[in-house]
Amino acid sequence: MNKLAKKYLRPELVPTKACQGCAIGSIEHWLLQAIDESGLKLEDVIFGAGIGCVGRQTFATWGGDNFGATHGRALAVATGLKVARPDKQIMLVVGDGDASSIGASHLVHAARRNVGVTVICEDNMGYESTGGQFSPTTPEGYVTNSSPYGMVEQSFDPCDLVIAAGATFVAETTAVQWRQTVKIVKMALANDGFSFVHIRFPCVQNFGASALGSRDPLYNMEWIHDHTKGRTDDGEETDFAWTTGIKHDASNSRPEYSKVLRDLNTRVRADMDAPA
Amino acid sequence: MGGRAIPLFKAEKTQVTKNVGIWDVELAEDDCKACGFCSNICPVDVFASREVPNRLGWFSVYVKHEQNCFGCMLCFQICPDFCIDVTAKTRPAAKPGKEKIS
Amino acid sequence: MTLTEGLVAPWAEWQETYQDGQRLLEAGTYALTEGAVAAGLGVFAGYPITPATDIAEYMSKRLPQIDGFYLQAEDELAGMHMCAGASLGGQKVMTATSGPGFTLMHDAYGWAIVNEIPVVVVDAMRVGPVSGITGAPGQGEFYVSRYCSHGGNIETIVLSPNSVQETFWLTIDAFNLAERFRTVVTVLTDQVISDMSEDLFLPGDYGDLADIVVPRRHNLEMPFFPGNNSDIDLAPNVIGEGTGVCVSPYTHTEEGYDIEDMEAQWAQTFRLINKIRHHKEEILRYEAIGLEDAEVVAVAYGATSRTVKTAVEEARRQGVKAGFLRLISLWPFPDELLEMDLLYLVCELNYDGQLVREVMRAAPDKKKVHFMGKSGEMHTVAEVCEALQSVNKDQKMPEQPFIWTEVR
Repeated sequence: MNKLAKKYLRPELVPTKACQGCAIGSIEHWLLQAIDESGLKLEDVIFGAGIGCVGRQTFATWGGDNFGATHGRALAVATGLKVARPDKQIMLVVGDGDASSIGASHLVHAARRNVGVTVICEDNMGYESTGGQFSPTTPEGYVTNSSPYGMVEQSFDPCDLVIAAGATFVAETTAVQWRQTVKIVKMALANDGFSFVHIRFPCVQNFGASALGSRDPLYNMEWIHDHTKGRTDDGEETDFAWTTGIKHDASNSRPEYSKVLRDLNTRVRADMDAPA
Repeated sequence: MGGRAIPLFKAEKTQVTKNVGIWDVELAEDDCKACGFCSNICPVDVFASREVPNRLGWFSVYVKHEQNCFGCMLCFQICPDFCIDVTAKTRPAAKPGKEKIS
Repeated sequence: MTLTEGLVAPWAEWQETYQDGQRLLEAGTYALTEGAVAAGLGVFAGYPITPATDIAEYMSKRLPQIDGFYLQAEDELAGMHMCAGASLGGQKVMTATSGPGFTLMHDAYGWAIVNEIPVVVVDAMRVGPVSGITGAPGQGEFYVSRYCSHGGNIETIVLSPNSVQETFWLTIDAFNLAERFRTVVTVLTDQVISDMSEDLFLPGDYGDLADIVVPRRHNLEMPFFPGNNSDIDLAPNVIGEGTGVCVSPYTHTEEGYDIEDMEAQWAQTFRLINKIRHHKEEILRYEAIGLEDAEVVAVAYGATSRTVKTAVEEARRQGVKAGFLRLISLWPFPDELLEMDLLYLVCELNYDGQLVREVMRAAPDKKKVHFMGKSGEMHTVAEVCEALQSVNKDQKMPEQPFIWTEVR
């Protein structure tokens, strides 16, 4: 394993359990770069993972204190943990299903409260761990294991959800934007508040097979590349393109949740001590 | 709309002469899952594939022509299994006789 | 086992030891809040629901005063998860709900139990199913509190108070058991005990209770989850001290990481079940009256036990050799209290029959166990007295309106 992995990861979990051609490991590599370049040590960061490919394949890799929550609940656990340990950086690694489907409620309220966590929502546009059913972020019309005639529901972008709820840093990148992702995750870590980084990446085994017709890792990554730019290598427009970059930056503009509670206590206790 | 975009993966390798020969390229072959990202994203000819499988059963990539590397770091960034390190070789000491004597 | 006459619980002694304080007229929810504060509560995370709402409101006022934190969660399952997270961060935690919220917590219950996280959960039961009758007491979560998560392979600790005063002391006791056993302790109260106002004595200075409150400690070294081990009084694990601990939802190794073999499943289950079963005597709490010469024993807990106790006393006055057995620790179920071959009259606030099934299982002759189920209102003294007489004389339940006697 390389130097960054040696510094931060458990050797038993390198290489990861992810499929060949899955970018979960690449993304985790960029997270390590961001953590390293931010000057953070192993004991400064608490990792939390969800359930699903993203949670499962990242879970147990981090060498420091970490937790794996039940499906969709990493943000709820992190809210309580942050109140008890406000001095730690909490990084949550969750998938599109974990964060925006079953976990949507906690996502919204953690953003509203401005809980000081950095949520890395890695989006492979489906419930891939259970075989490739569609999710709230699957592009409309695409064929998946549970939309054999094409996905008929409208999809949404969880970035819009958290911005509306009050998140203080929101950004989106894809699996071909490595340096941008490292830079953005560093900004996310620097925000003492709710940071949401949304990263689109390919699923070679399920999405690739059902929706794209290929399990070739290079083909799947090129599909991501094309939809990041909005056009193919031949100059053809793609059916849709993602809007990437920093979508909302109000970093450090309003107090973080555990600080709000502590300030309340200071105020209440001062009133109690004040002479009548 | 517009002209041709720069492709992500380059089947045709180019030859670069600037900044070559000064990079240590290490690839942990036992951790490689042979996805092909590194060897295909590399603009020059650095990588090749083994003909015997590694302990995981994959035909691992290996560093065949380290001297062609010019330090673009694309392989380091894209590898999904923490296999690759690309670091500048330690510089040799300055030649004797060039130091100022005060 | 010979049953002790009277109250068998730590607060039988505590009430004698701590006499400096004030007497108030307050509700069970107030007593519960103060009990938690006295035990060292740091974080309350919950969602308002009748009849537990007052607890949330008291907590929102009280916790900032003592530099604690009130988190109002978006729903009950978030509240329970927040509690688990805060407990992992080193705080003593509590949540409070009623039936509809309790069932939403099952996932979180399992997570906290399998990871040995101390949490106190209050379920103030009301009539069900579902929203039921909002303002009436029920006892429908007897089994659910034991089988509070999916997948089996766990034991649980459940306690039930029957007065406002007892609620104060029992809450402290619940926190102590949560620390000692590194698990979730459920306080199964009900709408009557939590909403009613009664005499409440509170010690003047909670600092005086240091001798009886088990403090939170941090486990800083391996093993985080000792396999094949049933020890209690181990320090709880903590996230954020750089121990490298892992807390996960899977069957785990001693470090906390997921593992899929049978030996690991056995080792983990051995700990989760036996740390409780092998130390049952530390958990057993009950109240027994008149059992030395009883021929028929009324069994009840919580609100029901109030009128049942009076009925037993009345039956005695009428010449029936009636005894009274009030369960305070419901789980692990105290089989040892039911070894006597007598007639039993199980009174509970549900019609489907839950406590009665456990009594039938534990008692020597299940044909001698009779069921008196009521739902929507408490058992009256007259009803229970009549039932005791009928069971004692004819070994069968009388015909009474809206009293369910069948157990199938």
